[in-house]
Amino acid sequence: MRPLWQIPRDCLFWLLVSVIISIGLHLGHLPPWVALSGIIAAGWQIQLYRERWRQPGRLLKWSLAGACASGLFLHYGRFTGLEPMVALLLTGYVLKLLEIHHRRDALVLIYLSYLIIILQSLFSTTMVSSLLVLAALLPVTAALVAMHCGAENSRPATALRTALTITVQAIPLMLVMFIVMPRIGSLWAVPQQNSATTGVSDSMSPGDMTQLGRSGKIAFRVEFDGPIPEQSQLYWRGLVFSGFDGRRWDQQGPWGYNDGQFLQWSNQPQETWDQVITRRGAPLSYRVTLEATNSPWLFALSTPLSQSSTVALSRDFRLVNREPVISKLQYPVKSWLDNQLEPASLPGWRKRLELAIPAGFNPKTVEIAQQWREQTPEPLVLMNRLLALYNQQFIYTLRPPALGKHTVDEFLWGTKKGFCEFYASSFVFFMRAAGVPARVVVGYQGGERHPTENYLLVHQYDAHAWAEVWIEGRGWLRVDPTAAVAPERIEMSFADLFGEQDDFLSASPLSLERMRHIRWLNSLRLKLDSLDYAWSKWVLGYENMQSDFLLGLLGEINPQRIALLLLLAGAIALFPVFIMLYLGREKNTRDELDRLFLQYCSRLEKIGLPRQPGEGARDFAQRISLLAPGLAAALDRLTQLYESARYAEQSGAEILLFKKALKVFKPSRKDLLIRV
Amino acid sequence: MTKQSQQITEAIIERVESVLVGKQHAVRLALACLYAGGHLLIEDLPGMGKTTLAQALAAAIGLSYTRVQFTSDLLPADIIGVSVYDRNKAAFEFHPGPLFNQLVLADEINRTTPKTQSALLEAMGEGQVSVEGETRQLPKPFYVIATQNPLSQSGTFPLPESQLDRFLMRLRLGYPDPEAERQLLSGADPRLKLSQLSKGITPAQLQAIQAAVHRVKVSDSLVAYLQRLLQFTRSSADVDYGISPRGGMAVLKSARAWALMDGRDYVIPEDIQAVFAPVCAHRLPVSGGEHRAENFIQQTLNSVDII
Repeated sequence: MRPLWQIPRDCLFWLLVSVIISIGLHLGHLPPWVALSGIIAAGWQIQLYRERWRQPGRLLKWSLAGACASGLFLHYGRFTGLEPMVALLLTGYVLKLLEIHHRRDALVLIYLSYLIIILQSLFSTTMVSSLLVLAALLPVTAALVAMHCGAENSRPATALRTALTITVQAIPLMLVMFIVMPRIGSLWAVPQQNSATTGVSDSMSPGDMTQLGRSGKIAFRVEFDGPIPEQSQLYWRGLVFSGFDGRRWDQQGPWGYNDGQFLQWSNQPQETWDQVITRRGAPLSYRVTLEATNSPWLFALSTPLSQSSTVALSRDFRLVNREPVISKLQYPVKSWLDNQLEPASLPGWRKRLELAIPAGFNPKTVEIAQQWREQTPEPLVLMNRLLALYNQQFIYTLRPPALGKHTVDEFLWGTKKGFCEFYASSFVFFMRAAGVPARVVVGYQGGERHPTENYLLVHQYDAHAWAEVWIEGRGWLRVDPTAAVAPERIEMSFADLFGEQDDFLSASPLSLERMRHIRWLNSLRLKLDSLDYAWSKWVLGYENMQSDFLLGLLGEINPQRIALLLLLAGAIALFPVFIMLYLGREKNTRDELDRLFLQYCSRLEKIGLPRQPGEGARDFAQRISLLAPGLAAALDRLTQLYESARYAEQSGAEILLFKKALKVFKPSRKDLLIRV
Repeated sequence: MTKQSQQITEAIIERVESVLVGKQHAVRLALACLYAGGHLLIEDLPGMGKTTLAQALAAAIGLSYTRVQFTSDLLPADIIGVSVYDRNKAAFEFHPGPLFNQLVLADEINRTTPKTQSALLEAMGEGQVSVEGETRQLPKPFYVIATQNPLSQSGTFPLPESQLDRFLMRLRLGYPDPEAERQLLSGADPRLKLSQLSKGITPAQLQAIQAAVHRVKVSDSLVAYLQRLLQFTRSSADVDYGISPRGGMAVLKSARAWALMDGRDYVIPEDIQAVFAPVCAHRLPVSGGEHRAENFIQQTLNSVDII
């Protein structure tokens, strides 16, 4: 079947370019066969245009649609959620290429391209991807231009030039929209990108952190108001694990704690448990810009407080966001490095929580721990003895041997090879078995100082696990058993230490991180990062400022007030347009005679006899004379005068006469033969 | 001159009306067409008085008149004329065909082949015919009144748009009203009166009237009104393309004649409105239905304001 309508040549060109680019932008989170089918569909469309191939039949189209839908379902296992939805939209978009019968089909494709390109912003908002999105909009606009004004054989470059002009002209509008468009938080729910979270997860079992060690992605960036503290001070607490089931460590709260609310919001009265925190000295203040993690926990140095109204301090002294962090988030933090947490004696239920060990696991460790406790009842001495053991006999490696059921037993008395989480887990288990309250803390350690800008880059490979031990009178102490094994792990950054190992960053083979030993590439990477950071700081900073401003303006943010604000802003934005239209409106070109004639008509209209459009003066007068015979003479005279002035183009005398006659022409409803 | 034109017009109309009862408006339009120097196409079903109108007009105006019945086997030579060898003079002599008359009634023009149609239409356009390489002038004035059956009738060759354009106006007569029909049925055959019809106008008067038509004043605001009408037809989605500039000139020419017949030396919007449908309807390519064009023209006139 031949298409009923032929798409202009240059429009087709740009449309195909847009399709390829749109798919390319989403390549990162698409099954590869969607991209492949896009290329095939584009090729088919070219062959269609050249009239070499025919349009696919109904059966083929249906089976293609069915195959794609089931392929997507097989790939994702569901249709809900952002990624499957975007993939579904993309496959539909690609298949639509095969049925361009009408102009509207091509238009649908063009408009869809805009949507699909913008959807990319849901996945990434770095400066590079923003620029890419902007550039990708260009061919789409060119296709739209070509569609509307492309002549039969005009060159694609012409449309691109127009599109470029339009885009450049739109930049001021874009900036205005950026400034005034309110960032409305959660009026509707954005589906989560992934079911899986990025970065550290809410539980820890052996081997989890190796995955992170292979990733060179940025976890967060920190900008300090003062100098950056020592590397060994930078323990970014994220999660506290008090529960252990023999293999897996996980969070206890809020169910494990029963003295008040688990979360303390900055704008709500202080919980009673806030008294157990002693903050001393001047706080360290800094801002963290966290990449999306899809989980609510935030990272900060102990012991933190945040002024942000969406960030709470939890009962285990870490920061939690109100919602999962699905896009970049910036939050200010004040941390008191000199602190004491729960220094007074722990109540019974707290001790039970922090001493719990599952029955039937690691019997050897339990036995030895109890022996040691009898030999050295002082917890600090006991702790140092264990750390000395680590220091003498253990090896730090990213490729530890696998562990069976009794993970701690096998590690402590068998393999003796592992990395942070093995040490943290075995240490805490040992201390608990010896009757010393302890828990595992997971987060990031250290970070990379940007050589020129004053901020710290924390990567996923900086993920770390350590321990906290409770000593009566001193509270919770941070103990890093890994430091006992491999102090350089703490002193140096992770990348400096393992940069040469094969395993390092094996998940991101093309990352610039892998090239860090090449000097100029490394400085390029850092330069790019500082640009990206400045960009996100600017955007996020503006967003925070604007939302504060909105909060101040509206008092409380609810949909009605937002709508009102949008209406108001729209009215203000449209006001110049209104003025322009008003000034540029068609000037009243009626001459005096026509104005007089319109006066005459409106007088008759007032008594219920309007002139029809297209009704000449003579026909009008004749019609009215039938309805109001009393007026006939006056009407006749006025019509005569008007006609000879208007159409016979005699001297100006008739105008004056018409004016004079009009002055005394006062029709009223009484003149009507039939009153309506 | 204007008053005189009006009197002459009334006299002619009175004469034609005595033969063709109850068709005053159509007769007036036909006369306006002749005053404006244009050819007339009358389209209607058989038996509606098309031929009668043409014959009565010819008689009342007093032009030399022939009638050609167009059939499917009519050849161009049959209407233009042929050269016949004269044995006495030993030379070919041209025998002019029926076209060499001032008023030609081309009856049922759409029954003949396009070949013959175009021979007639060349004559209408140029006022001359070419026979065997020799161009011969047709008499002046030269009018063609063509009649045709509606195209839906079988056995017809529809005239293409470009040829329809040669006709200044197209008229439809329609059924007579009951009063006129009663007169028609009860009285004697009106055609019998045709032969007794006296001339209402001399050739000199006709020429004077035609000259006067050109002098009828058209004001700027009227031209603007006409332009708005034309623009409306061009920008409307109901028709494929609007009235051409030639169509616009035809409207103005006819409106001038109409104004003169009304005894005025200037055109008013009502003149344009009166002639707009007969001048424009056959120039509008409206698909679907014979009356769509008329409806569209009525809509145009109702929508476009006069000022």
